[in-house]
Amino acid sequence: MVTDLKFAFRQLRKSPGFTLIAVLTLALGIGLNTAIFSLINDLFLRGLPFKEPQRLVHMYSNARERNLLELAISVPRFEHYRESQSVFDGFGAENVSAFTLTGLGDAVQVLGGQVTSNYFDVLGVRPIRGRNFLPEEEQTADVAMVTETFWQKRLSGDPNVIGRGITLNGAPHTIVGVLPNLPFSWVGPAAEVWTTKPFEIAGISYERIMRGSGVLRVVGRLKPGVTLEQARAALPPLEQSYRARYPDKVDSSSVMTLKTLAEDTTGNLRPAFATLLTAVAFVLLIACSNVANLLLVRFSGRRREIALRMAIGASRRSVVRLFIFESLLVSVIAGIAGALLAWYVVPIVPKMASNFLPFDPNTRVELSLGVLGFTIVMSILTGVAMGIYPALQTSRADLVGGLKEGGRGTSGSVQQLRFRKFLIGAQVALSVTLLAGAALLITSFVRLSQQNIGYRADNLWIGFVTLPQARYPGDGSRERFAEQTLAALRNVPGIEIATMCADIPLIPAGGSNTLYARPDGEILPIDKRAAAPFHNVAADYFKTFGIALLAGRDFNEHDIAGGHNVILISQGGAKKVFGSENPIGKTLLVGSDSTPAEIVGIVGDVRTRKIAEPDDVELYRPWAQQSFSFLSIDVRSNLSVDAVTKLVRSALATVDPGLAVALPQSMSAIVAQAVGQTRLMMWLLGIFAGVALLLASIGIYGAVAYTVEQRTGEIGVRMALGAQTRDVLRLVVSQGMKPVLSGLALGVIATFALGRLIAAQLYQVSAHDPVLLGGATVLLTATALMACLLPARRATLVDPIQALRSE
Amino acid sequence: MIKLKNLERSYSLAKEKFFYVLRDINLEVQEGDFVSIMGPSGAGKSSLLHILGMHDHSWSGEYFLGDAAVHHLKAKERAALRNEQIGFVFQQYHLLDDLTVYENLEIPLSYRKVNKSERAAVVADTLDRFQIVGKKDLYPSQLSGGQQQIVGVARAIISNPKLLLADEPTGNLHSSQGEEIMNLFKKLNADGTTIVQVTHSEKNAGYGNRIIQLRDGWIMKENNGY
Repeated sequence: MVTDLKFAFRQLRKSPGFTLIAVLTLALGIGLNTAIFSLINDLFLRGLPFKEPQRLVHMYSNARERNLLELAISVPRFEHYRESQSVFDGFGAENVSAFTLTGLGDAVQVLGGQVTSNYFDVLGVRPIRGRNFLPEEEQTADVAMVTETFWQKRLSGDPNVIGRGITLNGAPHTIVGVLPNLPFSWVGPAAEVWTTKPFEIAGISYERIMRGSGVLRVVGRLKPGVTLEQARAALPPLEQSYRARYPDKVDSSSVMTLKTLAEDTTGNLRPAFATLLTAVAFVLLIACSNVANLLLVRFSGRRREIALRMAIGASRRSVVRLFIFESLLVSVIAGIAGALLAWYVVPIVPKMASNFLPFDPNTRVELSLGVLGFTIVMSILTGVAMGIYPALQTSRADLVGGLKEGGRGTSGSVQQLRFRKFLIGAQVALSVTLLAGAALLITSFVRLSQQNIGYRADNLWIGFVTLPQARYPGDGSRERFAEQTLAALRNVPGIEIATMCADIPLIPAGGSNTLYARPDGEILPIDKRAAAPFHNVAADYFKTFGIALLAGRDFNEHDIAGGHNVILISQGGAKKVFGSENPIGKTLLVGSDSTPAEIVGIVGDVRTRKIAEPDDVELYRPWAQQSFSFLSIDVRSNLSVDAVTKLVRSALATVDPGLAVALPQSMSAIVAQAVGQTRLMMWLLGIFAGVALLLASIGIYGAVAYTVEQRTGEIGVRMALGAQTRDVLRLVVSQGMKPVLSGLALGVIATFALGRLIAAQLYQVSAHDPVLLGGATVLLTATALMACLLPARRATLVDPIQALRSE
Repeated sequence: MIKLKNLERSYSLAKEKFFYVLRDINLEVQEGDFVSIMGPSGAGKSSLLHILGMHDHSWSGEYFLGDAAVHHLKAKERAALRNEQIGFVFQQYHLLDDLTVYENLEIPLSYRKVNKSERAAVVADTLDRFQIVGKKDLYPSQLSGGQQQIVGVARAIISNPKLLLADEPTGNLHSSQGEEIMNLFKKLNADGTTIVQVTHSEKNAGYGNRIIQLRDGWIMKENNGY
């Protein structure tokens, strides 16, 4: 066996060209597979670092008839369920929040949440210092838990951290515990601090919170032995009792759903990664078939050696073993090269996708031992799969024929030729499928990028500010803050125009909905009313965002708190709610308290939730009449993001030095992020399709070139019999293209069959778009034709005399 | 029919050094001639035949085929002239392995743009004429050497050439099979086809009317068989 291994190694060393092409081809296939598998391992298989994460579920509220899906849970519903449920060991909630941290250098915004006292117990997270919150701390105590990063970075790893005070939103809090850093996929980017009082929201009254709007992220830990299905079955009785107890809440008729945490954090990515996994599997199959083809040719050319070996006593088994060793050696070397490629590629994807894939930007995704094992198994399987057929085929030695041939190679048996044609056809089928997929995603991305979002994202700067409840308790104080801040910003050179808003378009969970109804028809009960994205905006909002005022007027200085309530409505919204009627001057009942508000203007449609979602109702209220403690400052300027951030911080400091600007970024970056997943998919599938096209063209070229080489004599005879250049070209190209055309037909059928897999990721393009499918087919045909034409051209240069002599 | 004047063929060896395979060849072949070219290995027999067959274009001198001055023709014109006037028989038969006898015979006609129905008629006639109708669906590997060469000759004359060139046509055959082929040549010649063959066999050369002896690229002497 060692001798065979040595011989296989020597054979590979003897043909460095073959070895290099085979290893590189296979390394690409194995490397890309390993890279994608590493990402899948990180995203889907590793699981969250919580105790028994499979027992954890996330509860959502849904009102399907109003198209409100997977909303947060309301406070009254959470309290009702906490009292009545019997399927969970623990049932906790988090009100995701931002805090202004002062007293530790400059004021900064830190992210985190307000949680029920049992929240971290439910998740199964134990503090590395101190303790979790106590039940008696839930409603009243000013206590905090911080992450290890917060402790190390902001408190310099103070050994006396437990009991130390920090100021959050202007109020002193006592640190009772230090948490290990929590997973990015669950808490999001840079979450550092958690406090109690989960049912309080700065600037919103308790009465309003209790109307039933969703504010809590609720998790439950299933009791041992209780399945997800049993927990789901336990929900309807709870919904009924809630409806009976609170018939007039906003969410009275909502339906609850449960998701496992794994499904919750990555469920929406599964179709995309299933597509990617299929794509890289295709690339590997193409690489394998390419190398199998090369091996078949190589082994066929060694018939004399096989015949000799068998003539001196070698068994067929030992000949097969020899060849399998050779292909295994190729695949193991390729496996090592592939692992290196994957090691290089794996960290690139999280960098490209940290905004929309749940990868922690601070933690490098690495090749795990499991993935390395996967690579090794894949290499061995690939080696055996690639080697076994050529080895079996070639070892059926015709001793006499083989010895008579001398050192001359042959083109192999009819079965081998058929197998090689099959391999080419398969490569083409797989490549055309990948090309079509890439073409569909590229078109989707282009259409998504070209979608009119209704506002000008260029030169628009966004930053978030949280107003401490103590200093800004009501609409009046917040309105004064807005006036002073905007006045300060207006005087800054380099700032063209500035505004404020309670939300930001296209930031997930960054917007809010409000209920609305026409007062002049049947008024639906509050839990059945339609909801629409709702924006509380300060002066110059529409000018700053570049949203067109189409009719009526903008908000002005007369739209004040306590005055006549006014709103603006989007064009699409006006059409949907009022049809052909003129909505200006009409009234809508808005909010859970059915506030009557007069429509004073119509503005252009915008895409605030998702770029891909069609235009719908959008409602705007003036900041003076309704405002919140969390807001964004929005500045139009042609300066850089960093420069604007400095200017805004300086201006803000003149108004209130205790406030911090969080997450400063450009609106263009937010828009780019909103199409990020589509762009990532487009890039990855585009790269895979490009690799597939390259490998397939190398495969076709190799096969045709080899055929031409083997048929030099025949071509010479044909030329001697009168064949001219075009006849030879036609002969070689038609024979080379036959398996290509079969593969194309198969690929088009496969593309139709696999359309469903990719359909969910497409935008404004059908999975069976004939133009794109045709384009992919034409591109592959043209590439295959080029791959055939090069050797065909060489065939026309055959010197018939030389060819006849060599025969 | 053929007139060669000062024809030479050489290969360059090194800077300004040449190896001549044919030197100062002057030869005339009349229509209806059956010429045998003889000589030891390396004398230039096959080279001369390939020049006559217009497979080789790298020579100097003058070559007239009928009224055509081959030395002035472009590659395409030579190919057209060859397809119209010349048939070629090889020592190793050079039948195409993947084609049946029928298809092998059809090949030269397809290269001469003969339409399909006419091709079928000509192939059928040829199969009949060479008495190989029963073998039309067989592949070359299913035929004996002699049968393969009969097909080779049939293929060479199927487009009705005026000139048949044969490079050691019996070199790979038994003597009885060789005799059969030579009788076939004799008959074709009697029917009007001009034949130029390369042979080592005095006996086969005796089937023709002229023998040309080549040595080291030079014509040494010519025996007239009449």
